[in-house]
Amino acid sequence: MEAVTRLVKIRTSKTTLAIGDGANDVGMLQEADIGVGISGAEGMQAVMASDFAIAQFRFLERLLLVHGHWCYRRIAAMICYFFFKNITFGFTLFWFEAHAMFSAQPAYNDWFISFYSVAFTSLPVIALGVFDKDVSSRVCLEVPSLHQDGVNNVFFSWSRILSWMLNGMCCSIIIYFGSLNAILVQAVRQDGRVAGFDILGVTMYSCVVWTVNCQLALYISYFTWIQHFVIWGSILIWYTFLVIYGLFSPAISATAYHVFVEACAPSPLYWLSTLMIVVTALIPFFVYKISRTLYYPQYHDQVQRANSKNW
Amino acid sequence: MDEASTSASAGATRRAFPPARSGVFYRFTQQNLPAWKPAMTPGCLIAMFLIIGIIFVPFGLLCLQTSNHVAEIIHRYDVDCVPNAYRGNRQAYIKDSSISKNCTLQAKVLEHMRAPIYVYYELENFYQNHRRYVKSRSDKQLRFGAKYTAESCSPVQWDNNGSPIVPCGLIAWSLFNDTYDFTRGSKEIKVNRKNISWKSDREHKFGKDVFPSNFQNGTLIGGGKLDPTVPLSEQENLIVWMRTAALPKFRKLYGVIEDDLHADETITILIGNNYNTYTFGGKKSIVLSTASWLGGKNDFLGHAYIVTGSLSIFISILFALIHVKYPRPQGDPNRLSWNRKNGNG
Repeated sequence: MEAVTRLVKIRTSKTTLAIGDGANDVGMLQEADIGVGISGAEGMQAVMASDFAIAQFRFLERLLLVHGHWCYRRIAAMICYFFFKNITFGFTLFWFEAHAMFSAQPAYNDWFISFYSVAFTSLPVIALGVFDKDVSSRVCLEVPSLHQDGVNNVFFSWSRILSWMLNGMCCSIIIYFGSLNAILVQAVRQDGRVAGFDILGVTMYSCVVWTVNCQLALYISYFTWIQHFVIWGSILIWYTFLVIYGLFSPAISATAYHVFVEACAPSPLYWLSTLMIVVTALIPFFVYKISRTLYYPQYHDQVQRANSKNW
Repeated sequence: MDEASTSASAGATRRAFPPARSGVFYRFTQQNLPAWKPAMTPGCLIAMFLIIGIIFVPFGLLCLQTSNHVAEIIHRYDVDCVPNAYRGNRQAYIKDSSISKNCTLQAKVLEHMRAPIYVYYELENFYQNHRRYVKSRSDKQLRFGAKYTAESCSPVQWDNNGSPIVPCGLIAWSLFNDTYDFTRGSKEIKVNRKNISWKSDREHKFGKDVFPSNFQNGTLIGGGKLDPTVPLSEQENLIVWMRTAALPKFRKLYGVIEDDLHADETITILIGNNYNTYTFGGKKSIVLSTASWLGGKNDFLGHAYIVTGSLSIFISILFALIHVKYPRPQGDPNRLSWNRKNGNG
């Protein structure tokens, strides 16, 4: 049977799925792109050679239609969003270089940069990739044509990837030039103090963290306590980190020493400019998303809306 | 949770417990948690954009008005302060210490300026954010003294005799040293030069027992000199200068005038034009500015709020018009492709 599988795989260049439960199916399972093993009557050999293991044959329907659909959407969304958040962050560094004579001086404190992908924006991405749910499992089973989204590669097409990247670029431009023009060169507070490198870095970084996390909140359509916890929690972690890191001695924290508590938090300009920049950066994507889902809906949008009342 | 694992236990039958079908953990693993699914109905969205617009536009007007109430006087002086004889060779002028660098400027106060009035010096084309420059300091030395002179300070680390320079590094070496004195008619206007730096810098970054030594005594003079009898924590001009700026155009606080300046007054500024910006084509200006709750004079935030708010209102009107013209019932099952008459289902 593995010869047949190979024949089908090579001749038609399609993704093949093989399902089997016995030791004689091992070859076929390994040959196919996706091998589904059934554990049970004939032992565990098929399970050990397979990519997915299920207990009964009838679970295949759920595996393909429910989990296949969910996984495809999640992973595609996660990858696109990952590009977006890193481009938003990275390009603010590039725009700063243009004003720093391209001397490779980063716009932010070193530890801010190190913790970006680890602490401030990692959990929401994981939540997106693991927990996001566009339609319920019941709808997935009732509307098998949703599975065609994966076959036709709707969510990971080049136009989607590039448009997320473009979104990232636009957000980074708005964040960078917005922070710059709002904070510099005049005084930022009533006591006449001006913003230096440190305050600009904190302002821009805060805008980046708020923008990428709120962007995720706008993208997903399913909010459980987990999503709320990771999205708002990440933003809170950023501010907590800033305060704690600012307490370390200046030999370690350098430009971040007391910067939030002393300089940024008491300055209304800091908070107002963060609000303005974040809202402005998010409006383009939001308008696009609304126009798309309300006035030019694709198939999955229509299904989602038709079923939104009875999840 | 799997029943199959309890096989072949000789004699005794073990009861297989079915997995619980309730409880928080079960709902979590079955991905069935209580959730909020925001429904994007046109009405909801129109209302949301309208609210954003209604909040942002007045706010922008408030910010603009606040910024307009800040009075600012800016005068560029690096070109005018060079005597006519040296206009063609400004570098020679600035480097020659025998030529008097005093320069007088008349500034007309256009509107009433209430105390405190902040005096800044503004530099342009000075890249305090260049990597090499930013690295060239030693925070430990500034706090604890000469024995912490670090490699990071090079090239301004040791003087010609091999003794450590305190404070070391390019940032300190290029200290700005223009001076400003203000007179109103014949009366002097006092400029307070204390407490112009950030409190955390004064108290924690610059040591109370660290004194400048061997500073600016080489052949290459980068900027001003420091009084070796005053500890670093009281050298506020140095502290302000060492907080590096973000962009090539920046302002730093020079001092605070605690008197009011009345409208239509003319004040005389006596400038000591000591700092060399002519070698790299930099510009120097003096700025007098009041401050509001929002800070200094900057229209950008106000304009940005108004633009975003107006855009929001425009979008909400647009969506309202489209909704009126092409109403789409929410979740209309007739739109599903297998229900449409000409569907290709």
